[in-house]
Amino acid sequence: MSLAKLSDFSLASLLRLREHQSRLLATALAVAVAVYIGWKIVQSPDQALQFAFNGLAVGAVYALLAMGFTLVYSTVWFFDLYYGAAAAIGAYGVFYLRSHDVLGGQYAVNSGPVNVLFAVVTAGVAAWALHVLLYRRLHTRTNPTALLVVGGLLAAGVGVYTGLVMANPENLHALLSPLVAVLIAGVVYWGLRRSYRRVSSGTGPVPLIAMAAIAVVVGAIVGFLVAVTPELGLYLSWGVACLLSGTVSLALYRGLYVTMRERANSPMIMLVASLGILLAITAFITIVFRSAPRPLPDTFGSEPWTIGGANIKGFNVFAIGLALAGFGVLLFMVKKTAFGKAVRAIGDDEEVAKVVGINTTVVIAIVFFIGAVYAALAGLVSGHDTAIQPRMGLLLLLKGWIASVVGGIGSLYGAIVGGFALGMLEQFGIWDLAGEWRDVISFIVLIVFLSFWPQGLIPRK
Amino acid sequence: MSIASAPIRGLQEVARDPRSWWRRSKGSVELWANLIVLGWALVFMLWRGGGFAVTVGSVFAIWAVLAVSLNLVVGYTGLLSVGHIGFFGIGAYAMAVLTSSASYEQLRTEAIPTFGWPFFAALPISVVLAGLVALVVGIAFNRFRDDIYVLVSFGFAVIAFTTFLSWRSLTRGAFGIHQVARPAIGPLVFDGELEFLALLLVFLGLAVLISWLIVTSSFGRVLTAIREDEEAIEVFGYRTTHYKLAIWVISAMMAGLAGALLASWSTFIDPNSFVLLESVLLVSIVILGGLASIWGSLLGALAFVMLEEGMRFVPFLPSEFIGQIRQVILGILLVLLMLFRPQGLVGRFKL
Repeated sequence: MSLAKLSDFSLASLLRLREHQSRLLATALAVAVAVYIGWKIVQSPDQALQFAFNGLAVGAVYALLAMGFTLVYSTVWFFDLYYGAAAAIGAYGVFYLRSHDVLGGQYAVNSGPVNVLFAVVTAGVAAWALHVLLYRRLHTRTNPTALLVVGGLLAAGVGVYTGLVMANPENLHALLSPLVAVLIAGVVYWGLRRSYRRVSSGTGPVPLIAMAAIAVVVGAIVGFLVAVTPELGLYLSWGVACLLSGTVSLALYRGLYVTMRERANSPMIMLVASLGILLAITAFITIVFRSAPRPLPDTFGSEPWTIGGANIKGFNVFAIGLALAGFGVLLFMVKKTAFGKAVRAIGDDEEVAKVVGINTTVVIAIVFFIGAVYAALAGLVSGHDTAIQPRMGLLLLLKGWIASVVGGIGSLYGAIVGGFALGMLEQFGIWDLAGEWRDVISFIVLIVFLSFWPQGLIPRK
Repeated sequence: MSIASAPIRGLQEVARDPRSWWRRSKGSVELWANLIVLGWALVFMLWRGGGFAVTVGSVFAIWAVLAVSLNLVVGYTGLLSVGHIGFFGIGAYAMAVLTSSASYEQLRTEAIPTFGWPFFAALPISVVLAGLVALVVGIAFNRFRDDIYVLVSFGFAVIAFTTFLSWRSLTRGAFGIHQVARPAIGPLVFDGELEFLALLLVFLGLAVLISWLIVTSSFGRVLTAIREDEEAIEVFGYRTTHYKLAIWVISAMMAGLAGALLASWSTFIDPNSFVLLESVLLVSIVILGGLASIWGSLLGALAFVMLEEGMRFVPFLPSEFIGQIRQVILGILLVLLMLFRPQGLVGRFKL
């Protein structure tokens, strides 16, 4: 055997050995972790159940984060770090709207500039949405100038409405009741019409009017009920916070990312730019709310339930349900609707998607909106669970990022599995350590996964 | 080529034919960036006087060593590391633990071992310790790239910070370590601000010199090649993992040096100097100044320090918000840079 062949041979066998060893090491590691957790469970099953409940509660937040993050990532293929700020905006939005309620209004916050800023942003986004959705369809049929004027007025109205809502958080239920009424009426009408079409093929004017009347009545009743129940303020503020976070995301997308992606479609550039946005928004939140931690108002289910000797808050059960429901909704949207098809097409190849007639700008905008809403939900759930502080955005972002990588980047199933798995591993990891090491544990989990299973738990197909 | 000769060549050009030089470079961003930052710094120091200039100079020198070291990794090798503050902290804590002479028994807080070493004995230890940690971390991180590299380096910063905060029997956690020794060579003690500034500038010069030697050598050219196309340079037989590991360790050692200097300069450290956000700010300094340019890192650090110091004198600004407003400005600057000038003010490499 010649020397070259020999060295070739040894190199190949070495490589194979390394590959083999790494698999061996990974298996050993997994077995060790499983044995450790099993041993702990056998040792004190009650405590183990408690840690499992904690893990599920934390995992729900991570799963929500990871789902939105993965949806955005698998569409545009860059990590949008604004996502952390979206979570912080969700939590602080609730605080902003309910600050008169928290600790007797001790930290009450309501500043004019902030309201005006959000009013302007919302008006801008509304104007853009009207332009994209209606103007292009209508401007050949009607007078474009009149359309522009009406659209501008509408957008300005939306902005003023947002500003009003944010300036009067005490009367959230009254202010939002018309909006809720209109939404409910719309949903009822849509549902009635759909089911009517199923049973009968004709659509005469009489049933349509009847359905519209039912919808209006139902909407009005619900709106009235909302208007007279001030207790609903907290849950309405959740919705408003999520919408605000989504609106900011839309504004960033239209105002910045579109231009940026046209100039240089490099993931690193987008990542650094969104890092800048995260920095700026975090600092802005600190300026408005100060850096000290703040509590969110009490919500339902802060009483712990005892199941099998372990405690879990009703709110945490709600959070877990929310994560599962959020997963169901997202899965339905991505797998069953035309929108989901468009999202997957853009994820596969954006240029081709554009060529076959998908309005990529609108679809990606909706994806960003959904992502920000999921992040805001995660932020406010974790805020109700513990407390809020401005730097929570960066930490939640990292957790969501880790969960999506552990689950398998770009895979929706992976996101929810990864989220709950990360939460469980984190909680079981701090069993023998102090709680302050949990961030360290999740990063060690990340590095181990990246080293041995870079595809994650459930790889994207 | 990049630090020493470029300004000299520029000056020669100006001297030879000022008019044509002006015509050619008046639209140049680099020229205006240099002029504005340097002019601003100069005016400020003249206005505020000597004591101010010494303090600002010291802060600048520490940030500059850090920025120059990080630029080796981010700018020249193309690995966007957000975790460099960890090595900075390791250097600082090694220096603090080894040289602190405070006795905590009277304070009724957790006691930590005191060694009472002199500065110059502890300095090599802190640098080497940062290097050793970097070696371990680097071996684990070597296979990652691009955005995943950003994520895992975030992780290193978080792990380092948590360790500083939670390993209370060594670092005293949030209480911090007092009475870190000032450097002394025999009878010559650097306890005045001015002497310490001189020492800092010597170390900054050393860091710049080492970086310059690295980036102008064949080693530096391989690093640049890795940044441009790692597979291509691998085909030529270079073991890129070794090169990446080497520059990572060197850069971490320089960051450890900066940390040791910080600990000795401020004589008190606590984990708040090493939070994740500081690390992000450091990366934005490097990107702002210019990727793959040593002069850019110096300029970025100067701009960063002057931004903070300058804002102290804006009349209507509440002083508790200065850090936050600086962060807003840096964030917006990052976005604008990525939009219009991805290589930074005087950089050579577009992200």
